[in-house]
Amino acid sequence: MLVGMRSKTEYAQGENRRELEQLLSGVAAGDCNALEDLYGRTRTAVYGLALSYLKNPQDAQDMTQDVFVQIWERGEQYRPTGSPMGWILTICRNLCLMQLRNADRRENLNDEEWNAIPDRETGLPQEEKLLLQDTLAVLSEEERRLVLLHAVTGLKHREIAGLLEMPLSTVLSKYHRALKKMRVYLKGDDAL
Amino acid sequence: MTDREIEQKLAQALEKTAPKDIQGVLSRCEERKGTVVFMNQKKKSRRLSGLIAACLMVAILGGSGVYYQRANAVASVVSLDVNPSIELKVNRSEKVLVCTPLNEDAKAILADMSNGADLKGAKLDVAVNAIVGSLVRNGYLSSISSAIMISVEDKDTARAEKLQRELTNTVDDVLQTSASKAAVLTQTLTQDAGLTQQARENSISTGKAALVNRVLALNSSLKFDALAELSVEELKDLAEAGAPAMPIGTDKAMDLAAAAFGKVSAAKMAYSAVDPELDESPAHYEVEIKSQSGEEFEYKLDAYTGAILESKREVEDGAETPAVQPSRPEPPAAVQDIGYAKAKSIALNHAGVSESKTYDMDIELDDEDGTLVYEVEFKSGNMEYSYEIDAASGAVLERKYEGADGTDDDTIAPKPEKPDRQPDAPSGQKTDIGNAKAKSIALNHAGVKQDAVYDMEVGLDEEDGILVYEVEFKSGNMEYSYEIDAASGAVLKYESERDD
Repeated sequence: MLVGMRSKTEYAQGENRRELEQLLSGVAAGDCNALEDLYGRTRTAVYGLALSYLKNPQDAQDMTQDVFVQIWERGEQYRPTGSPMGWILTICRNLCLMQLRNADRRENLNDEEWNAIPDRETGLPQEEKLLLQDTLAVLSEEERRLVLLHAVTGLKHREIAGLLEMPLSTVLSKYHRALKKMRVYLKGDDAL
Repeated sequence: MTDREIEQKLAQALEKTAPKDIQGVLSRCEERKGTVVFMNQKKKSRRLSGLIAACLMVAILGGSGVYYQRANAVASVVSLDVNPSIELKVNRSEKVLVCTPLNEDAKAILADMSNGADLKGAKLDVAVNAIVGSLVRNGYLSSISSAIMISVEDKDTARAEKLQRELTNTVDDVLQTSASKAAVLTQTLTQDAGLTQQARENSISTGKAALVNRVLALNSSLKFDALAELSVEELKDLAEAGAPAMPIGTDKAMDLAAAAFGKVSAAKMAYSAVDPELDESPAHYEVEIKSQSGEEFEYKLDAYTGAILESKREVEDGAETPAVQPSRPEPPAAVQDIGYAKAKSIALNHAGVSESKTYDMDIELDDEDGTLVYEVEFKSGNMEYSYEIDAASGAVLERKYEGADGTDDDTIAPKPEKPDRQPDAPSGQKTDIGNAKAKSIALNHAGVKQDAVYDMEVGLDEEDGILVYEVEFKSGNMEYSYEIDAASGAVLKYESERDD
């Protein structure tokens, strides 16, 4: 039972679905500027989801590029259904799952450790590094994905449940458990 | 750090580490849009080669009558079938001699290649690459269950098999770069005039005709021409299922679902898609319909009878819709209307005001995003009340109280909350109807008696700040799942499906 932990998610990219919809229709019409704008607004969300699956920044960066190429190619298939972000992330998820499945045949990559800091990245403050690398490392893969999605996509729990094809109740309990783990890790004490 | 701060910091960190390489994206986009998808465009990371997820080998060897025109330079005939059917004739050095669209769908696929003329003289793998790229762009291979069949007809079986292997790799590559999870079926055929004839008459490829014959061999009461209209995916699954009967087809499935949708919702369809699932048990078609107001419907229809096996409805979480937005009951046959008087009494009951103490009562029936609602407004004392009540279920969708000083008070109800369907609920519970009440609301809504229910689970959960009861139970062979607003008792969402 999870009561009293409120979390409004309406910030960053989540705030304006309509603008994303417009950009997607621009993309469908072959407008490169719309794609560029869309990339600027949603690259972090796409990258975050890709990272949660692929667990290393290089692959996640490659994947981010693949996702936007897909968006460009499949833009015409998008129907305005109220969740442009959901559509974009579904493409990302499908590509990630396929890549993992293909890779899985030859080597077992599922055991790979969490690695979120790109080699070249230097300017990241220590606190952010700690969060992104060490704190997320204490989570299970699924928990990490839920936290990342919630933090950077502006999607609601219900939409995240839909995207990941998980029951809402599971999403909620895993999400809350994950945040608790993170707080405990950060404070080194029982945060609740 | 609070949760919010943790998330914000995380978002910041990710923002900094996420790639900012729009040029890289654009450089790949311009080359691809509307043109041939070239192989090996994609930078290969160590994970990107490998095989396609599902590669089914359907080897139909044999075939008796061999008619082979040696004089003609055609060495092999390759056909690609999804629903569009395309045939490529190639010579010994694997150059395309002629590329023919065999049906209307295929013409659309080849439209930007001058109906196939552009592919003449191209190497077979390049041509296949281009065609599959176009199939993907046109959405034929986007569903996880879609299937493409590659058939190679050649007198020389060794050459046919070699070609088939090469083409499978080519198609795999394209599918992989386009994130398609379609299955690839392959077959080699020896040329057969009877088959070719049958194929021509039905505007399909010989490869597809062979697949149709495979289904016919399982059930001779089916008709060749009707089967020829099914997609490769449907035929493949039908064959695997033993071809028990003739499926209704995607068009019919869509029509039936649209009719069912029309009965429950006044709203217009914004989007629909149909997906055959003939390999599942029971075999069915899955139809998704979205209304313009964002409601999502999902229907499962028996693949052979067209009967609706399951229907789901979900109200999408729009940005500005009120937190409480229940679904109307299904099945569609019962389009009920509680009527003005009932709407009024629900509102009065909810507000805890007797009618004699009210004035300026105003009730209107209105259509809110495809849901009929009663808008009940009245005043009592120095308060103004405004309700929106679902005309079908009587659920309170929205409520607002306003004091004489003009301050809104729609969060703190002046009266204990009562579920609308349970006007005799015990007062004293402030904002939580309680487990038992949630359970009874769900049972009531489902029309199921307590003693006919098993595996009942009730849990209180939170969704974006709203407390909801999740009630799940089974009865008979059905499984029910409800989300009920813990404050108002309104049914926010429900699903029922056959429990197999």
